[in-house]
Amino acid sequence: MSATFTKSMARNIFYGGAVFFFLLFVGLTFDTMQVLPKRDHRENITPEVVRGKHIWETRDCIGCHTLLGEGAYFAPELGNVYKRRGPEFIKAWIKAQPTGAPGRRQMPQFHLTDAQLNDLVAFLKWTSEINTNNWPPNIEG
Amino acid sequence: MQYKSQAVAKPYFIAAIGLFTGQILFGLIMGLQYVVGDFLFPEIPFNVARMVHTNLLIVWLLFGFMGSAYYLVPEESETELFSPKLAQVLFWIFLLAGAATVLGYLLVPYATLARMTGNNILATMGREFLEQPLPTKVGIVIVALAFLFNITMTVLKGRKTSITLVLLIGLWGLAVFFLFSFYNPSNLVLDKYFWWWVVHLWVEGVWELILGALLAFVLIKVTGVDREVIEKWLYVIIAMSLITGLIGTGHHYYWIGTPESWLWFGSVFSALEPIPFFMMTVFAFNMVNRRRREHPNKAATLWALGTGVMSFLGAGVWGFLHTLAPVNYYTHGTQITAAHGHMAFYGAYVMVVITMISYAMPVLRGRAANSERAQVLEMWSFWIMTVSIVFITLFLTAAGILQVWLQRISATPMGFMATQDQISLFYWLREISGVFFLVGLVLYIASFFIKGGKTVSA
Amino acid sequence: MAAPAVGFFLPATQAIMNASTLDKDVNSAMPPGDFAIWIFIYAELLAFGIFFLAYAFTRAHNVELFNASQLSLNRESGAINTLVLITSSYFVVRALAAIKRGRQVFCVRWLAAAIAMGGLFVAIKLAEFHAKFSAGISLHTNTFYMFYLSLTIFHFMHVLLGMLILGFVLFKAHRGHYSAEQHAGVETGASYWHMVDLVWIILFPLVYVIR
Repeated sequence: MSATFTKSMARNIFYGGAVFFFLLFVGLTFDTMQVLPKRDHRENITPEVVRGKHIWETRDCIGCHTLLGEGAYFAPELGNVYKRRGPEFIKAWIKAQPTGAPGRRQMPQFHLTDAQLNDLVAFLKWTSEINTNNWPPNIEG
Repeated sequence: MQYKSQAVAKPYFIAAIGLFTGQILFGLIMGLQYVVGDFLFPEIPFNVARMVHTNLLIVWLLFGFMGSAYYLVPEESETELFSPKLAQVLFWIFLLAGAATVLGYLLVPYATLARMTGNNILATMGREFLEQPLPTKVGIVIVALAFLFNITMTVLKGRKTSITLVLLIGLWGLAVFFLFSFYNPSNLVLDKYFWWWVVHLWVEGVWELILGALLAFVLIKVTGVDREVIEKWLYVIIAMSLITGLIGTGHHYYWIGTPESWLWFGSVFSALEPIPFFMMTVFAFNMVNRRRREHPNKAATLWALGTGVMSFLGAGVWGFLHTLAPVNYYTHGTQITAAHGHMAFYGAYVMVVITMISYAMPVLRGRAANSERAQVLEMWSFWIMTVSIVFITLFLTAAGILQVWLQRISATPMGFMATQDQISLFYWLREISGVFFLVGLVLYIASFFIKGGKTVSA
Repeated sequence: MAAPAVGFFLPATQAIMNASTLDKDVNSAMPPGDFAIWIFIYAELLAFGIFFLAYAFTRAHNVELFNASQLSLNRESGAINTLVLITSSYFVVRALAAIKRGRQVFCVRWLAAAIAMGGLFVAIKLAEFHAKFSAGISLHTNTFYMFYLSLTIFHFMHVLLGMLILGFVLFKAHRGHYSAEQHAGVETGASYWHMVDLVWIILFPLVYVIR
């Protein structure tokens, strides 16, 4: 029984393992891409939703909020805010910022037009309809 | 210093430490905003402070990686750097681009910045950690490619070691996966799916190769253990990192619209992700225990051991805590994630860069190690920063557990802000720990200016 | 899970402790072949082990669904494949025995036979997958098929990798790199192949048979 431990074998395992598991990962990605349309309902991505996402990005909303649990943890989850608050509340809330309440966390005023607010709401509505495996656990996000 | 061109590493290290300080200052601002919500509002809203905090982290780690590569590669390849001039030019380009970007964040409203910098031509901004304007992103790619060209040419003309090979694969991987930051489909699910190809495949993929290579290099230097032994363990450890970490990406694919099968793939493989970190800890301690020389630079050895332990705790243990899908269902997007993020980044990447700096800076300044007094101060800063990050992590974990309980598990769940009010005590404690961290950092910087005592010549 | 974990950590720790003696090639407590492959094997067994546990756990909560879906599996092809893999493992044992006696030609032949058996496994498996996919079954059909397909495809890829490794060993044996004294490479490849076989021997009854 020979007991060895060589660098060349360790190197082979690194290269082989990396390639093997990367291919596996690419394979799983390919499979995911096949079933995603059923879960993200991309047929509902209207021009409003596309513009809404652009507004979401250019106001750096992710810098304070989470969206489907990803982002900053300073302000509420917004993946399900459409279901939690409804469209009118969302628009009124954004217009009313900042509250100016002393010592409380403040959200900036973004001066969005009514059309932009509608786009943003359309984006949040579409997002709230993504199949997220029942996350978050409850409506509070 | 064995090769003259290694000296180009020095400004990179200095810039890294400078930007690190900026990162901590903005971290303190954010920490305070968690409890005094209107602090510095509207001058520096939370999201701006956070962009600066996280972007500075990424940029200074990149400075650290590049400086480390410029120091390490000539010595490993036993030849001068291909072009020291290019390295110097790139330094200034990168520093100025970084500074301009941060100033842009601070001085211009984000939407205006986006419009000014061509975000309407190719929209890439406004995604976590990838907030940089388009010119900055393009700049990062150009600097990275020029840097890689310089390093690769150096390796090609000199001796090829396992360490330089692994480092090169890691750095090339870093550049390649960054390209996914230019892909921003309007479908949020796809956007998120490939966003992780930058973020996860960086920090739990190719960056681990860089980490392993830097650590292996310093261990060879300070312990004098046979290169063969260290390099084969390097291979085994990074092999395990990729074997577990690639499919381990699945732990980000639980709740973003991706299919249920990822709950299983992500859980199984990311449950194994602590293994390479555990091996790294055992590896670092064993090499030091079997050292064949007493290197005068005790501080560097301490940082190297610290990297092993803290990356295992931060990335391994704190990662495992919330990586299984049934747990993550409740902890996803809470302060638990923040706790893990802080300790993992500090333990793995901050510490390995400081390990490199700690080893290389004295040599770059013409001595094998700093004076005893300087080293003692540096070791004090090690303990203060490390203990502070442990406390930051513990307080954030406590905050997270409470948050999960009040907001997600309780029969009468509280709203987000009501929950935040309940856990403010822990945010105060975290902020105090953060101040101690800053003290540690100031001591660390001070240790560079301590002279006197007996110095060891190179 | 405890058993594989101990199985992993004990030898791993021991190897680290003994790394210096290991370099001198003497440690009878070590498994055969190159230790590096064993680290890989332990990791793979751990991954499969956790997957098997997850399967058992999920099955216990969805007995009816699992029972119903299991009926659709082709047990005959699974049983034949079990025999095929065991036979191939036997061939690998013969190949190792041959090289230990210095019979290089026989080593090469037995390895070729083992790889051929691996090829037979792959062919049978492909037919099985083809039947399932044409029936419209995918990873997302239900939880049972998620497990069935993930486990069998994951294992399938290991068979391919194992054949690649054996092929490499065969190539080196053919070139005369191994001898009665020096045959660590054959042991390394054999160890990996036995792992692939072992996983199937657990996988087959677990997923195809036990109801």
